[in-house]
Amino acid sequence: MKKALILVLFLGIISAIAGIGVGAVNNVTEPIITERLLAAEKQNLEKMFPGAEFAPIEDIDTDDGLVTGAFEVVGKGYAMKVETTGYNSSTPIILLIGFDNDGVITDVMALQQQETDGFGTKVFENENIDSLFVGKGLDEKTDLLSGATVTSTAVQGAIASAQNLLKEIIG
Amino acid sequence: MWNNFKNGFIKENPVFGLYLGMCSALAISTSLNNAIGMGLCVTIVLLFSNVIISAIRKITPDEIRIPVYIVVIATLVTIVEMLVHAFMPELYSSLGVFLSLIVVNCIILGRAEAFASKNGIVTSAVDGIGMGLGYTFALLLISVTREFLTTGGIAFVNPFDATQTLFAFSIEALQPYTISLFSGSVGAFLTFACFAALFAWIKSRSAKKEVK
Repeated sequence: MKKALILVLFLGIISAIAGIGVGAVNNVTEPIITERLLAAEKQNLEKMFPGAEFAPIEDIDTDDGLVTGAFEVVGKGYAMKVETTGYNSSTPIILLIGFDNDGVITDVMALQQQETDGFGTKVFENENIDSLFVGKGLDEKTDLLSGATVTSTAVQGAIASAQNLLKEIIG
Repeated sequence: MWNNFKNGFIKENPVFGLYLGMCSALAISTSLNNAIGMGLCVTIVLLFSNVIISAIRKITPDEIRIPVYIVVIATLVTIVEMLVHAFMPELYSSLGVFLSLIVVNCIILGRAEAFASKNGIVTSAVDGIGMGLGYTFALLLISVTREFLTTGGIAFVNPFDATQTLFAFSIEALQPYTISLFSGSVGAFLTFACFAALFAWIKSRSAKKEVK
């Protein structure tokens, strides 16, 4: 009994020291890593909000995990990166969604998608982006596109996830 | 002590002699950059894990020594991973999951159990560096061969700044004859087998000499 206690204590002390060490290094590296992540997204963010300043929003846990990045566009609104799977299960659809200060969608940009040419890809054509997504408020569902049901349903879900997260952020 | 150090290269080379750490060696040895980056990370982890484990060897209760080693190794790997992520993002993305998998690289736990837990701090440190550099040396051999056969040249990029190429050459005449097979796993195994055979031959030759 006494022996077991000593063992537990020893392992506990070792783990505590290890935890302190990892924490200390994390303090140093974390700001640099966030900055790097922001720099990687900046190019796309700049296209959507030219000349704006961006601040990454941390703590972006959603139930479905579709939102992979969130940024506050200082004074102008918000931008969110979402990732979902449409018809092509091997290449996920990655979208950047722009919101204004009230959470109304201002733009949707496909960063990566390899949906079926002529069907799923129609969702990402400029005129369809304007009619399906742009102008939708926080409580509105985005529309589906006939002939591209699977892709647009996936996109609808991903945007809804971003909208839900934004609701929490705006409060 | 010098022998300890030298052993890591040929006779007890962790990859070709002891067949340890092969999983990562085969997976990431596609380019010189990966090999040097991974080799250095493993060497650093190995050095510090050997030193720490040797330092606490007298107070570590025997029953829980393996969990203690694993906590030490996992801590070091996490620290190295965070540092690489912050300061060498290119290397971080090209090594991917294999960086965190250094935790389960058998070389490190193997050296902790077989060497550091029985020897003094300084000898353990030398053993760690020797084994780490032996691993790096093995990675270099495989990766240089593979990179040369797949691209017809060798390039080394500054790990802190991906836009800066430190060293590169490529042979124009070879460009039509590059073998892309060697970038895949088949090429990794082929290269590995050839070097393992070479090392076995060197070992058996020096063993014969000793007999005479």
